[in-house]
Amino acid sequence: MLSLSAPLALALEGLADYADEAVFVVLFGVAVGAAVSVVAQRNPLYSAVSLIFVFMALAGLYLMLAAPFIAAIQVIVYAGAIMVLVIFVIMLLNVEEEEHRRPLKLRLLVPAAVVMAAVLFAESAFILYFVHDAAAERAQAAAANTTGLTASVGAGLFTTYLLPFEITSVLILMSLVGAITLARRASEIGPTDVVVPGSFVLPRQALTPEPDVDATPVSARTTDEVQRELGLAGAHHRKEED
Amino acid sequence: MEWLNNLIGPSAARGVGQLVGINVAFLGVLMIVAYTVLAERRILGFIQGRLGPNRVGPGGLLQPFADLLKFILKEEIIPDNATRFVYLLAPVIAITSALMTIIVYPFGPEVNIPGVGPVRLTIARFDVALLYVLAITSVSVYGIALAGWASNNKYSLLGALRSAAQMISYELSLGLSLVGVVLMAGTLDLYGIVEQQSGWAGLHWNIIYQPLGFVVYLISAIAETNRVPFDLPEAETELVAGFHTEYSALKFALFFMAEYVNMFTVSVLATTLFLGGWNGPGVAQFPLLGVVYFLLKITFFLFLYIWLRGSLPRFRFDQLMNFGWKFLLPLAIVNVILTSAVVYFQFVRAQS
Repeated sequence: MLSLSAPLALALEGLADYADEAVFVVLFGVAVGAAVSVVAQRNPLYSAVSLIFVFMALAGLYLMLAAPFIAAIQVIVYAGAIMVLVIFVIMLLNVEEEEHRRPLKLRLLVPAAVVMAAVLFAESAFILYFVHDAAAERAQAAAANTTGLTASVGAGLFTTYLLPFEITSVLILMSLVGAITLARRASEIGPTDVVVPGSFVLPRQALTPEPDVDATPVSARTTDEVQRELGLAGAHHRKEED
Repeated sequence: MEWLNNLIGPSAARGVGQLVGINVAFLGVLMIVAYTVLAERRILGFIQGRLGPNRVGPGGLLQPFADLLKFILKEEIIPDNATRFVYLLAPVIAITSALMTIIVYPFGPEVNIPGVGPVRLTIARFDVALLYVLAITSVSVYGIALAGWASNNKYSLLGALRSAAQMISYELSLGLSLVGVVLMAGTLDLYGIVEQQSGWAGLHWNIIYQPLGFVVYLISAIAETNRVPFDLPEAETELVAGFHTEYSALKFALFFMAEYVNMFTVSVLATTLFLGGWNGPGVAQFPLLGVVYFLLKITFFLFLYIWLRGSLPRFRFDQLMNFGWKFLLPLAIVNVILTSAVVYFQFVRAQS
């Protein structure tokens, strides 16, 4: 394809070779920077927005790994659904800036966090450098052309990984039921209560109040006398104002 | 294209091609949006027995540009108590997420452009185009939610909360109503889905097999774009202007544009998935006719939006939620089950 007027073309082709790396560095930078920001921000809404950026950058990384389906699902499920609910809750509760924690409690956790991080890094390094499964690698190479495409993900979910898939869905169902149970326990809905969707729980009487049966006999002729008889205050100051 | 390849190499040539495509599509969509606004004002005027804007240019044809100029020249007001960064970020998110979907629209079939060669009238074609559109539009809710929160105004916040609740609720039935089409097509690639509907002299459209899915899609898509009769997030009578109460000048214009670009997106998806995209009689002989059919179908849906706005009152909030969760969602699920059963039995019959 390259012709005699090649210098420019050659240079641009050379640049194109580095395009992947450049995109990776940008996405990686956004992901890590936003992740730090999630922890560092004092305002919960800023943390949530940072987390959205993390998810978007992760989706971009999935795209670079030739897994467009996973990338799209990442955005739809995490950025589009879960984070919307998080932001929804933050806005509804109007959460203020978090209070400054007492530093003593955290200081104990710092060494533990360092150790955990070290273990995690050691584990990743060990897997990267020492674990080689020849058979699995060959299988991966064979499947590399279709991995991450919609059809292969679907086929995998409903054949090889059917059991984990089903177990995960049961797990999600359990957490749903758990959340509803917790929410219900707080207000103890009895059989005579009325639930108004989206707002509150009322005892049934509140909606259909009993008729007023207070028929105290009153012997009086004028409004003022009635009010004095019943011990009511208000609305009878007119005379004084005059 | 050969000379461009020779000059700057194939990768850069492809990049230049896509850049040109993106800019042409971007300008085209923005022009359509501008004239949708004008058409809306004129048609609403007609429905309500008045004239609408008809003074700027012949028949008011230059009105969109006058409006744009006015938006640019208006004073920028940022409320003192607004959260400045988020307040400015919100309209950017809204318009960006609205415009990002343009790259997968199949505007037309492969046409022969003189001097360039055969060109597919779509900017990018990839495996998960439909999911990409859904993903990007699902992000657009942040534009509204953050706008309402950052304005520090109770009406804005109420509008934003309504909008978030509404969009989450109707996103489910929207997604499920498209599953039927995807099951029939066996692909998520929009261009591929349109190509599959080219039979019967270009009239073999998915709507014949998916009438239920089409109705559910159209209703929930109108709800997703916050238009009448689902315009609770900006209900003027209750919330001043809803989430964009505190926005002025170009920032308001960005929200306004985002709303109309989203309407366009909905129309494109409806056309592509249910009405055969660019397909129609005679497209096989004259590919450019496809673009005309495509635009005509889009125009129909945009007109439908305006027509609905002129004739329907607004839902109440509990009606909106009940309608979405108790009527549309079950209907969409029934459609998915029916379609998968039919697809499965066809598959079994083809195997035996």
